[in-house]
Amino acid sequence: MGWVTRRQLMNLLGALTVTVVLAGLAFGLPAWDRSLPADRPVSAGAPYRITDGVTVVPPPGAVLDVTGTRPGDDQGSVLFRIGPVRYAIDVQPFDGTLAMAATRLRQRITGTPGYQVTGGQFAVATGTGLRGLQGGYTAPGRGGRYAAYRAGPLTIEVTISGAELDLGRTLPAIEASARTIRYVGAT
Amino acid sequence: MIAVRPAGEAPPVRPSLWVVLVLLALGAVRIGAIGVRFADAYPLATLVAVGLFALFAVPFWLFLAELDFLEREPVRLRIVAFAWGALVATTVSIPGSAALENVVAKLGSPTLAAGWGAALAGPAVEEIAKTLGIVAIVLIAGTQVNSVLDGVVYGALVGLGFQIVENIVFAVGAVALAGRGDDVRPVVATFLLRGFLSGVWSHTLFGALAGAGVGYFVVRHDRPRRLRLAVAALCAGGAWASHVLWNSPLFGDGLGNGAFALLAVLVLKGLPPLLLILWLVRRAHDREADYYTAHLAGLRDPDLVTDAELAALRSGSQRSAARWHAGHRAGRAAGSAVRRLQHAQARLAVDLSRGTPTAPRRAEILAERAVLRRLGHPEAVPGPRSWRRFASSAGSTVLAVAVVWAALTALGGA
Repeated sequence: MGWVTRRQLMNLLGALTVTVVLAGLAFGLPAWDRSLPADRPVSAGAPYRITDGVTVVPPPGAVLDVTGTRPGDDQGSVLFRIGPVRYAIDVQPFDGTLAMAATRLRQRITGTPGYQVTGGQFAVATGTGLRGLQGGYTAPGRGGRYAAYRAGPLTIEVTISGAELDLGRTLPAIEASARTIRYVGAT
Repeated sequence: MIAVRPAGEAPPVRPSLWVVLVLLALGAVRIGAIGVRFADAYPLATLVAVGLFALFAVPFWLFLAELDFLEREPVRLRIVAFAWGALVATTVSIPGSAALENVVAKLGSPTLAAGWGAALAGPAVEEIAKTLGIVAIVLIAGTQVNSVLDGVVYGALVGLGFQIVENIVFAVGAVALAGRGDDVRPVVATFLLRGFLSGVWSHTLFGALAGAGVGYFVVRHDRPRRLRLAVAALCAGGAWASHVLWNSPLFGDGLGNGAFALLAVLVLKGLPPLLLILWLVRRAHDREADYYTAHLAGLRDPDLVTDAELAALRSGSQRSAARWHAGHRAGRAAGSAVRRLQHAQARLAVDLSRGTPTAPRRAEILAERAVLRRLGHPEAVPGPRSWRRFASSAGSTVLAVAVVWAALTALGGA
């Protein structure tokens, strides 16, 4: 009789098989996800539908990142990338004031370790008449802008983040895109 | 036909135990790190979420203990099953589900992922991770899984552990999303939604179904291996399908607004799997009860167990009614003595099935019988239908319905 019986060996093999399947779920699926391209081209100048009532015209040179894009009926999100800069818009039902919407967004940003808002907020408006509040924030190695708008029963949250140099280069186009956010109400 | 096989003695330590312990430790580190991050950002909300959902687990745990009354599973194994769901299955599912949903968006479209991502990704990853927990229990203590009901119990415990941790993560996630700082209102809303309204037809139920399949595969050696595999796959597939139905956008906005509409959606999506699984569990429970009470019936000794006590032992509600009747008729001591007598009778049945010495159990039973005789209540049987007991049950039901209705109104009917 050896040190390890056949029964013990089979038992260990079973446990290792369980471990391999778990590893496949925890590491294999993310690896598969990473191996697939996330970017999709978007039509320049054409409005992109985020929810049934909210659209935005993407900035020139932007691509759609499908991992951060979930269009919906009354809530949805879209993530564009211009090089290394992220430009995200989230639309959610909300029944508070504009100030409350902006505070909520600020608190979510500062809730991430290392993230701090810089300075105060100032009023902004889209070209379609939506009023909002805008501010800035910093994170290690990154900077960002945020803006919150109120539109009907919704809040529209815009966050832009990237390295300061990249932001400086792309912000004008992104802010021009943000001014195209349109709310036409649920259809 | 072998519905139940004799309960096993404590198994020797197997190599798989060490692998499972390592996996549990890794899961504990990962979930612990998430918990620390939550507690750091939202200490009060995290505390309330943990407290509420820990309380939520208590009735499930007690229900499973009552279901498992006759041949109770070792506490250590029950804890391992719960911990697998809480620590290992969640640790694996968090990155796995997110990645699979991204894959749906990449291979399909963001619109498909928005509508069906939660239904396609979550169930696929989570049901596999949880079912592996039941397989792990079989690997480390296969002799303890000796009926389909045992598989149900371990599967439900894995699911319960998963459900509790997932709900805590969702609750604190809702706090972060609300952006109002360390606010407990999103935790309470999550508790009402995921606890009261969706808690019954959730992971505990799905895990029980998958567990029934694993239990069938392990126990029913009288059936061809191919059939056992097919039944196990069917049960795992049923758990997955129930989960997909629950997460799917079907009826998402098709039944209008208001509490009735929300209730209708919950019932349409949740009730069919609930009824199917409860029927299966009932059958598994009755088969196990038949097996063990048959051993006791063979004794033909009314000092150890009477015919009426045998009938009561077969059913959880009858056991409970017998305790209630004893307490009502002869005082709390009699109710406790009936509980101890029933436990001793159940352990005697297990000893008889194993062929192990029964003298200590017989002595326990005779001692409790003497206590009951002294208290003037010699037989542990349910009494005639009592309006007090009926009123108590009806009151509890009305209270539960009122709480559910308040939750429905607050969340969907306002």
